[in-house]
Amino acid sequence: MTLLSVREITRRFGGLVAVDAVSFDVHQGTIKALIGPNGAGKSTLFNSLTGFDRPDSGSVEFDGRPVIGRSPRDVVRSGLARTFQNTQLFDSMSALENVMVGAQAHQGEGFLPAALRMPHAAAEDRDASAEASRLLRLIGIDEWGHTLAGDLPAGIRRLVEIARALATSPRLLLLDEPAAGLNPTETTELVQTLFRVRDAGVTILVVEHDMGLVMEVSDEIVVLDRGAKIAEGPPRMIQKDPAVVAAYLGEEDVDD
Amino acid sequence: MSRYARRAIVIGVVVLLAVLPLVVQDRFLLKVFTFVGLNALVVVGIALLFGYAGQVSLGHAGFVGLGAYTSAFLAVRVEVPWLVCVAAGALVAALGGLVLAIPSLRLKGHYLAMATLGFGELMTLAFREAEPVTGGVNGFSGIPFPAIGEFVIKTPQQLYWLVWFSVAAAVLLAANITASRPGRAMRALHGSELGAQASGVDIVGVKVRAFVLSAAFAGLSGALYASIVGFISPSLFTTAASVTFLAMAVIGGSTSLAGPLLAVALLTLLGYLDALLPGLSGTTGELIQRFQADIYGLAIIAVVLFAPTGLAGLWRTRRGT
Repeated sequence: MTLLSVREITRRFGGLVAVDAVSFDVHQGTIKALIGPNGAGKSTLFNSLTGFDRPDSGSVEFDGRPVIGRSPRDVVRSGLARTFQNTQLFDSMSALENVMVGAQAHQGEGFLPAALRMPHAAAEDRDASAEASRLLRLIGIDEWGHTLAGDLPAGIRRLVEIARALATSPRLLLLDEPAAGLNPTETTELVQTLFRVRDAGVTILVVEHDMGLVMEVSDEIVVLDRGAKIAEGPPRMIQKDPAVVAAYLGEEDVDD
Repeated sequence: MSRYARRAIVIGVVVLLAVLPLVVQDRFLLKVFTFVGLNALVVVGIALLFGYAGQVSLGHAGFVGLGAYTSAFLAVRVEVPWLVCVAAGALVAALGGLVLAIPSLRLKGHYLAMATLGFGELMTLAFREAEPVTGGVNGFSGIPFPAIGEFVIKTPQQLYWLVWFSVAAAVLLAANITASRPGRAMRALHGSELGAQASGVDIVGVKVRAFVLSAAFAGLSGALYASIVGFISPSLFTTAASVTFLAMAVIGGSTSLAGPLLAVALLTLLGYLDALLPGLSGTTGELIQRFQADIYGLAIIAVVLFAPTGLAGLWRTRRGT
């Protein structure tokens, strides 16, 4: 079943076409990777899919409902969560508190119930705390729960951000370079984590430069180059695709 | 610090503040301690808005003035019961907060500071120029004492208790907020607006609510001031006062209520040092008063340079947490 369908998304910045009529689908229960050289338009596309940026044209449907034009909060609440290339954690809060914030996507907004310590507000807090602890265990970083996010090593920060995104109860998780800054051991652990997340019923779309990781985890890969889609398919096919090889090696002409 | 030690300190401070008027009989000193409470009401709101949510306001004296003039006008010209006047004062200030929240949705940092500064200046101008309503530069006098039904609250002791009861209520509400979901939402907003949005935090709602609540606390303080002192004038609600309130919150430290409250007490009492310490010579007292703004300024510089996390941060560091 198609969970996310991206159709002809185009985004221009002045004269530069950052994303050029890109279309692809993400199927439920799979891990899809989005790759391409620097400046290929991956992060811009991510922002378009999550309400952080509005494309000039094209449409995105998530679970049959349009995404473009909705606020980031609305997008998250509909079940589409993301992480950032530069982790956006709350440094003065503990890892656990960071993840608890993710639970707010589906909680009330008012100050009054909290100010008056109403029973349902207290229950909400307990639920958020329990859920955050569970997610830290799922990701395998529960020993860091009480450390301030600002004091965490880079690799753990990425994992906390994934846990925080999971706390919003997403059906689709968009990861922006989750392996950047990780050492080989951490990357291997990340692969296992991604499989655990997928097995927990969350579909994943991942932007990543680490080709080893991409080839290992993805069911399908989309390749972007200079804003346009140049290839799409399973890892084995992508590895042999001449256009992809050219884009990565920088060849001018491709002939078989 | 264990929860019990913390609770013991809180209870100790509350008891101390509650019995203070029984020990201190001096009318002037009681008035000074009442002013500490009135400032504390404003600064608790700023601690939420600035210390937790990270939104700067250089216009909070405007909200204090809105509360003061609204309640004074209703009490003197419309002759409405005191409780209604106070509630209306807080409500009108809250509406002002709603208005000021709108630029905060688009502006950040220095730009937001400028917008709020402009709001404060506009309010001072309005208090001075809207003479038929506010009495202009001559001020608004003859504001009756607080009264609940037939019972008039007018002795220094009673007024002290009234103010500190309000402070206790405000601090309790604020502490409940900071300890739960909205508190985390405010800190998240402060830490990373992008991260907060991606976590599904309603950042518009959080900003608006923080502005409205802190404005309501300031308005309440103003309304209480008007009925306690009986006279208000535009010179009370200037940008200088706004800066002082913000200075107290900065010196107190972010993500803390206790730090800013301590800073309020220290900085407010500083101005009345000669009354507090009978041994202090008159000239020293005068000197301190004359250089009060400079002392605040130096204190802020010292905090920014040597203890960017404020009094609360110093305490946390010493505790090794």
